[in-house]
Amino acid sequence: MTTERECDQLLVERVQAGDRRAFDLLVAKYQRRLMRLVSRLVHDPAEAEDVVQETFIKAFRALRHFRGESAFYTWLYRIGINTAKNFLVTQGRRAPTSTETDAERAEGFDDADSLRDINTPESVLASKQIAYTVNAAMEALPLELRTAIVLREIEGLSYEEISEVMSCPIGTVRSRIFRAREVIAEKLRPLLEVSADKRR
Amino acid sequence: MDMTKKTRELISALCDDEIPEADQELALAALDGEDGRQAWDLYHRIGDAVRAADALRAASVPDPSPGFTSRLAERLAAEPLPGKRTGAGDGADPTAQLGAVAGQG
Repeated sequence: MTTERECDQLLVERVQAGDRRAFDLLVAKYQRRLMRLVSRLVHDPAEAEDVVQETFIKAFRALRHFRGESAFYTWLYRIGINTAKNFLVTQGRRAPTSTETDAERAEGFDDADSLRDINTPESVLASKQIAYTVNAAMEALPLELRTAIVLREIEGLSYEEISEVMSCPIGTVRSRIFRAREVIAEKLRPLLEVSADKRR
Repeated sequence: MDMTKKTRELISALCDDEIPEADQELALAALDGEDGRQAWDLYHRIGDAVRAADALRAASVPDPSPGFTSRLAERLAAEPLPGKRTGAGDGADPTAQLGAVAGQG
């Protein structure tokens, strides 16, 4: 059985051997994941897409240096996050915090399929409130904390992989994830207490 | 960092199966207390909530536009093939060549 990492490495080696189409396969595999990750940092979809394009171009140019000592996706994520951060710097702005856009996005959740399985109007409302609160809390986090918690909870990366992506020690990763959880907890605690009270 | 905060950080790491061996005993002992159990429960609920919220949010994050792949393919076709690095040996650090973009693989 070939692991994802081994499969990616095979494709990388094919590119290094002169097979351009192998890189297209990596693009097809990672473009949506990268778009979701980058859009956590760069909210405008067109700008996020530009960042993703630049990320793949930079990765292609740098591929000759890739030796497979880390997984391809952690390397790619690292390029993506750095490209997004550089983009925000050149635009003279940071990733926006909680804004009206977030509220609009939260309203857009109304018809999300995953809400349809939840039974009562109260639980639907509670889930929507929790989802909105979590997303708003995430967006308001400093960039480094947001990146760390996204890579852990959503991308499922290990602390070691996150330390590679974020170019920081594992202890810093642990601290950033903890601090992100503490901030989210502050926002979420009242809602969770209400939900628990209603179940009693 | 006071002891309580340090202990909560260890519980946070324990939730991720990322607790250093030297701290395992301390973290597990903290779970014997009410505060420790509450932190354990809360951090797991946050993880669940973050993933659930992301699943809902994903509906509002568009896939790359239809022209994305063709535009990228066009740009990639104009790039020279990366090839494989030779000469410097596997232990050399290519970070300098990559600049701030990314470290070595």
